[in-house]
Amino acid sequence: MASFYRKWRSKMEFGLFTLPVLICVAVAFYIPFVMTVRYSLTKWNGISKHPKFIGLDNFKQIFTGDANFTNAAWFTVKYAVLYIVLINVLAILLALVLDAKLKTKTWLRAAFFIPYILSLVIVGFIWKFIFMQGFESLGDSTGWHIFKMSWLGEPGLAFISVLFVSIWQSIGFYLVIYIAGLQSVPGDLKEAAVVDGAGPVRRFFSVTLPLLAPSITIAVFMALTNSIKVFDVILSLTGGGPGGTTYSIAYDIYRDTFTNNLYGYGTAKALILFVAVLIITVIQLTIFKRREVEA
Amino acid sequence: MSASNKAARWIGEIVMVLLSLVFLYPLFLAIFNSFKSFQEVMSDVIALPHHWTFANYSYVWKFINYPRLFLNNTIITVLGLAGIVLVSSIAAYKLARTKSRLSGIVYFICIMPMLIPFQSIMLTVLKTARFLHLSDSTWGLGLLYWGFGAPLAVFIYHGFVKGIPRELDESAMIDGASGFGLFFRIIFPLLKSVTATIVIIDVMWIWNDFLLPLLMVNGSPTTKTLTLAAYTFVGQYTSDWQYAMTAMVMAVLPSIVVFMFLQKYIVKGVVAGAVKG
Repeated sequence: MASFYRKWRSKMEFGLFTLPVLICVAVAFYIPFVMTVRYSLTKWNGISKHPKFIGLDNFKQIFTGDANFTNAAWFTVKYAVLYIVLINVLAILLALVLDAKLKTKTWLRAAFFIPYILSLVIVGFIWKFIFMQGFESLGDSTGWHIFKMSWLGEPGLAFISVLFVSIWQSIGFYLVIYIAGLQSVPGDLKEAAVVDGAGPVRRFFSVTLPLLAPSITIAVFMALTNSIKVFDVILSLTGGGPGGTTYSIAYDIYRDTFTNNLYGYGTAKALILFVAVLIITVIQLTIFKRREVEA
Repeated sequence: MSASNKAARWIGEIVMVLLSLVFLYPLFLAIFNSFKSFQEVMSDVIALPHHWTFANYSYVWKFINYPRLFLNNTIITVLGLAGIVLVSSIAAYKLARTKSRLSGIVYFICIMPMLIPFQSIMLTVLKTARFLHLSDSTWGLGLLYWGFGAPLAVFIYHGFVKGIPRELDESAMIDGASGFGLFFRIIFPLLKSVTATIVIIDVMWIWNDFLLPLLMVNGSPTTKTLTLAAYTFVGQYTSDWQYAMTAMVMAVLPSIVVFMFLQKYIVKGVVAGAVKG
């Protein structure tokens, strides 16, 4: 009897401790997710009471005849690849410099980190101002051609602008991850390499870089998850333009659901995004788990 | 150290400081232009203001009702944070201490949503929130963050609780403590450092968040957040850059001020969160 009571009591307690969080994630994720799956099989404008069930037609249309989606997907892939490579290379280089014994180290680290604490939408607007008004003045006073190009008005340049502003905003985050990683590289390993006659470049590639592997795993993972969902910065910087060339998948979903009132169609795209993120994450986790170097 | 080596170091130092100033130049430009009149912005953007004016600030302050927005942001952030910490820490503690299949399943349910991109569910989140009468209210938005913040928080707390020896719980039980009393008196104080990490990451996220507030509280000027108000404001004043820049500066100023004072902790918290998360 006593043991029954104890068991019952511990079960009660388990429920009491875990039920609140279960309710919260159900409201925020699981209920909306189930609804997303349901609406993705319907044709619905968001207003009528009864969404019309159309099976997999939305998905068929997305994969066969939706130029918007193809363009947005292509934009997102290009953006994600370049973002991941550039931000990690730049952050590692910058971290190597800031890891040296500089007197201004604290200021420098703070300076590069500041944009990361700002809202992306606002960062987008500030840069829009720089590209539109600031560059004009800079061009007049320096005469440099680079300031006279239409950075938000030409498709190719607008893509570079979106990429550049995203990197500008978030490089501080990757920088501090790599600085933390460099600080955990044991100094005697570097000294041993010096004794063995390895130059700075050789030292970087054979000692520092392999030991940075855990940091690289984290940074690439974060860069991928963030870049595949890129949205805020595009909204305020280019608004998808010029000529709809800078729509990302997330922004395309937003356009379909909230601007074009294609609720069923938009949620079908949203579901595809989810599956893509899921697959990429699983692949990435398995690859990196295998390759990490034990330090 | 030789003289030439020393000189090289100085040059390197100066180059880096210059580079950081160029890096932050857009922010300086935004700040300078917020103190200019319309004519001055139009005639020369990169010059320092000839006549420093606060007129833009008093105009925007009143127009967007800055104190109200600040209060809204504070309510949403504090309420969201309190819930995330409370709900996630108790659950993570229990899950880490209970070794059963059910516990494993519940843990999986809690952290799995980290893989769901918000854009995949944004429309249906809005519908759910409307149904529960959580939309169009700052308090409702704060409550919603409990769920959105829980997966990462549970994950981080869970990893940390596993490192706290079980004997601590057992000796406390012998002293007669149990349930919530045991958790809040014995365990929660030990979670101080991870709680700080979670608070830092989540404050930065909730304070600056855009899409969820846009869907939830953009309908009325009394429920808007700072970022939202700045966003709408710029939409209305597309060519009045002096007002737009002022609104931008006012929206980001709280973050920058807080960062200046707590820089060390913020950087540390962000790194810890990334490494554990």
